[in-house]
Amino acid sequence: MSLLNFQKTLVQIGAFAFKNWIITRRNFFSLAEIIFWPLVGLFSVGLLTVFLRLDESMTGFILIGVMSMSLIQVCQIDVAYALLYDLWAKSMKHTFIAPIHPFQLISGAWLIGMARSGLVFLLLSIFSGVAFGFNFFESGAISLILYLLGLFLIAVSIGIGVCTLVLLFGYKAEVAAWSITSIMALICGIYYPISILPSPFPEIARAIPLTYFLEYFRSFYGFEGRINNLLLRGFGLIGLYLTIEAVLLRWVIHHARKKGTFIKLSE
Amino acid sequence: MALAIEAEGIVKTFWSGWWRRRVKEVLKGIDLQVEEGEIFGILGPNGAGKTTLLSILSTLLLPDRGSIRILGIDGLQDGHRIRESVNISSGNANFVWSLSVIENLRFYGMLYGLSGRRREEKIESLVNLFDLKEHLEVPFDRLSTGLKQRLSLAKSLLNDPTLLFLDEPTVGLDPGVSMRIRGQIRSTHKASGMTVLLTTHNMKEAELLCDRIAFLKEGKILAIGTPGDLKRIVRVGDLIRIQFEGNISEEELLRMEGVINYSISNESCEIMVDDAEKRAGPLAATLSNGGARIKSLTLEQTDLEDVFVEFSKDAGSDRGLCI
Repeated sequence: MSLLNFQKTLVQIGAFAFKNWIITRRNFFSLAEIIFWPLVGLFSVGLLTVFLRLDESMTGFILIGVMSMSLIQVCQIDVAYALLYDLWAKSMKHTFIAPIHPFQLISGAWLIGMARSGLVFLLLSIFSGVAFGFNFFESGAISLILYLLGLFLIAVSIGIGVCTLVLLFGYKAEVAAWSITSIMALICGIYYPISILPSPFPEIARAIPLTYFLEYFRSFYGFEGRINNLLLRGFGLIGLYLTIEAVLLRWVIHHARKKGTFIKLSE
Repeated sequence: MALAIEAEGIVKTFWSGWWRRRVKEVLKGIDLQVEEGEIFGILGPNGAGKTTLLSILSTLLLPDRGSIRILGIDGLQDGHRIRESVNISSGNANFVWSLSVIENLRFYGMLYGLSGRRREEKIESLVNLFDLKEHLEVPFDRLSTGLKQRLSLAKSLLNDPTLLFLDEPTVGLDPGVSMRIRGQIRSTHKASGMTVLLTTHNMKEAELLCDRIAFLKEGKILAIGTPGDLKRIVRVGDLIRIQFEGNISEEELLRMEGVINYSISNESCEIMVDDAEKRAGPLAATLSNGGARIKSLTLEQTDLEDVFVEFSKDAGSDRGLCI
């Protein structure tokens, strides 16, 4: 790739970041996604731990779950917005007549997703410390970065999944943007260890990277898991899923060009 | 002259429904060649397949069968390269609602890799061309239909396309705004020399803008040619009405160049010619020399609408002409 092409690619990635950023900045509900819902989640669960008189480590176990779910949800919705805004505005064909690659669309939106999620992390960390005495930075910088990277990669994977579903099923699939994370959290043991789940859910949970990143981060707070090589398994699985999704998304875009999806979703 | 578009045997069928699958064959073997620099119109009634054909040629849609070359590039194998050099503007334009005019132009400019001063200069020139300066900060959903259309045209020129697709560019606009949009299309084409392919069911628009026109009905091209050619094909000519005294020689009428048909009754005569303005003078002179005293002569020029009506009457008749 020549320098000129590389610069052009960066600008095209920047286009999707620009769009998401402008809409985030302007839309009150978008701000609510960053501030209101994550804080509601933190305080409702955090206060429950106070009521149940859970000890410090158990409170941490649960707050890590709340944090993980909030970060994934905020980040993945931004990736999904890359197509959802076009879906709602019926402007899909103008995006896909431009010389863009799917990875540019995803990565531009992902950048804003990570920025928004990063903000949510800071906000929830501060309130966790102040209100519940839990320090998210105690694990150390490297482990925190690896944990956050894992969550952001899971988020982009869900976002690609939503985009794929939108291109396959149109408006019927938009609900996926708000439901996949919750289902995943339920299976991956957001507030409990996966060992308490009835079969076959623990087996399913082991196929989902979030299980390993939760367990990895909780291990710094006294919850040694029974699974080895947590990071290797987590990043390995996410790598595998992202590769499959990249191939699938390309195929779905080709399929959309065959079925006339871009035209139908622009009418 | 090089070809901007070469399409051969384009077939497109849409399937719908999960249980009882319905099949609709929208394009039934389209062959089309558009020269570089031309404004080419695709004219046809609703449901003729105009938008489907335009979508295929602009790489938004893939055909079931057939081959396409756009600007010399294979449209089925290398759509991405084609998309660098084409753009589209549609009637009933839709862009992200909450983005303002300037933000929409910046976003789409960036999709084509434009950045920094180059992007801002391009946007400024388009804003001036389409008179959008006063509306730069207005969100898309608060723009009037005419302004949305002007923004859509401005967006379609961001990448200086070699080939521009216009899908019913004036649909839903009032006559004054339509005229203005047509003027802007014409002046932009003149300035850039780009190829334009437009779909419309507005006959006046096609006649005003297009160098050549294809009539599309029920997924088939019935005829291709200049507006004048098409009038000749369907033998729908201009009408010259003459009130006269004396005699008109039918033999002389038949010998005259440009006469398509005629009818004579008492002291009036209706003569159908290919071009009334061109033929009226020689016709009057010939008839006068033949002994008829012409009391009055009126011209009634036909337009593409008459041609359109003729084509729409009978899709089965294979006029099969391409000029």
